[in-house]
Amino acid sequence: MANSNAPSTASVVLRDLTKSFGAVDVIKGVNLTIEPGEFCVFVGPSGCGKSTLLRLISGLEEASGGVIEIGGKDVTHAEPSARGIAMVFQSYALYPHLTVRENIGFGLSLARMPKAEISRVVEATAAALQLTPYLDRKPKALSGGQRQRVAIGRAIVRNPKVFLFDEPLSNLDAALRGQMRIEITDLHARLGVTMIYVTHDQVEAMTMADKIVVLNAGAIEQVGTPMELYNHPATPFVAGFIGSPRMNLFTGPVAQAMGCTTYGIRPEHVTLSETAGQWLGTVRHVELLGADAIVHLTVPDLGALIARTSGDTALAPGNTVWASPMPGRDFRY
Amino acid sequence: MTPRQRNTGLIAAAVATVIFITPFLYIFFMAMKTKKEAALFLFSWPSEWHFWANLTEVVKARNYMLLLAYFNSTVITVGAVALLIIFGAMVGYVLQRRPSGWNKLIYACVLVGLMVPPAVVPTIWVLQGLGLFKTIHGMVLIQVAYGLAFSVLLFRSFISTIPKDLDEAAIVDGARPWQVFFKVILPLLKPVTVTLIVVQSIAIFNDFTNPLYYLPGKENVTVQLTLFNFQTQFQSQFNLLFMNILLVTVPPLLVFIFFNRQIVAGMTSGAVKG
Repeated sequence: MANSNAPSTASVVLRDLTKSFGAVDVIKGVNLTIEPGEFCVFVGPSGCGKSTLLRLISGLEEASGGVIEIGGKDVTHAEPSARGIAMVFQSYALYPHLTVRENIGFGLSLARMPKAEISRVVEATAAALQLTPYLDRKPKALSGGQRQRVAIGRAIVRNPKVFLFDEPLSNLDAALRGQMRIEITDLHARLGVTMIYVTHDQVEAMTMADKIVVLNAGAIEQVGTPMELYNHPATPFVAGFIGSPRMNLFTGPVAQAMGCTTYGIRPEHVTLSETAGQWLGTVRHVELLGADAIVHLTVPDLGALIARTSGDTALAPGNTVWASPMPGRDFRY
Repeated sequence: MTPRQRNTGLIAAAVATVIFITPFLYIFFMAMKTKKEAALFLFSWPSEWHFWANLTEVVKARNYMLLLAYFNSTVITVGAVALLIIFGAMVGYVLQRRPSGWNKLIYACVLVGLMVPPAVVPTIWVLQGLGLFKTIHGMVLIQVAYGLAFSVLLFRSFISTIPKDLDEAAIVDGARPWQVFFKVILPLLKPVTVTLIVVQSIAIFNDFTNPLYYLPGKENVTVQLTLFNFQTQFQSQFNLLFMNILLVTVPPLLVFIFFNRQIVAGMTSGAVKG
């Protein structure tokens, strides 16, 4: 890439990592191994501690307990700049008073790299990110996507072993977000370095990750590949979090009748029929998405039930319809 | 624009002219007049223009005292404002960015500095004890001490509008704490720094009482004190007194005219969020 030396990559290992702010435990003993070159996504609802976990790895927050190893080296108490990491912030955090060129080269000039060398590296990086025409602009004269690329460029030139992304796409519009998702995935393929990516958007997690870490209330709920999490969610929380629209989850007498405390069935695994089925429900609302349709039903025994069906459905609010779970696709906890 | 809006606008403009422009014109005309004509204290067009003659006489008075005064005032103003900006920004930065148990106490001290009126005689004792009484650098330190609280408050509220992500990005990029401050934060403080330069330099340049108390001595004279010194001498020559006033007024006026726009920008950007 920009630097001539071969891209190096490193594993990240967290052992019994804890973080408390005063009396509040934000991270409650996290154990995790991220393999070298892996694209790992931390996902969870807001306030689950995913950003804090990333900041612990970056060194911007000091761990209250436990060990952080990057590339086999204990960096728990190391300075952020000594950890071999680079970070892309949600707000991009570009220095407003510096040009794109100076922004990308800032870290190198702090490291007292010769000017000619900085200029060579910055220009190569800018070329790879299609930023060459904007090198002498200030950040305020750039669009959201360009700012994002400058932030990525600033991370790349440091030749880090681990990239950290803190919700980098949440300030972009939907179309640009899709494009940047592909660009970051390409970047990962090209550099081959370890990337840790924080998001609350499960679509980003599913589409980009080699490994997804689902966090809830400061602890890991489940770790696995996107399809593992989709097909075999270990807890009702993961079952409800991964997949869109979210899984139908039932507790109480309904679940007890099924022999469990929580019963789950994904909308795409509910079949609808006019003649026969397990539950008879009334259509409350139909979302026509084109290729498919999301049908919201009210079932007397269950309450609300969501089903996914083909886009040419003739169902309309007020109709009654039979719904049944596909055999073997339901989850019992 | 309705006729009513136009009329109120015109009235406001007329009132502003009377209040702000008329005194200045009066000074200007008086400064141009002959001794005899000035003694009449009339708001009138000078019958003869004695600009150059009056100017040279004021400058030459008391062995070029006015030039020495300009030099002293400039040294005090530049020195004090430079220290106010460096220290104000640094203290404001630490207060805003590093929450600690001491912050409340420090903040209380800053507010006390803003509210408690300075006591002259004890200050003179302290200055005498330190060997700083009747010295220019002693005067610079006095001005810094008096202005620092305001400066810290202004910088602190402005720094709170700079996202903390920038500090963190710089730290990840390998910046030491002092590099974060000087390379990232300080350049972003330009609007509020300009405000502070204007407000404080005008206040310090125009300061009369503090140099009067803490900086006695013929060789330590400042521009505002020349007025005081010349008042007795020019008792019967009001044209020269007014020429002196004119010369003393011009530098702050120029500073204000040049930086006027930035002052307003800096004031509001610091004040809106904080």
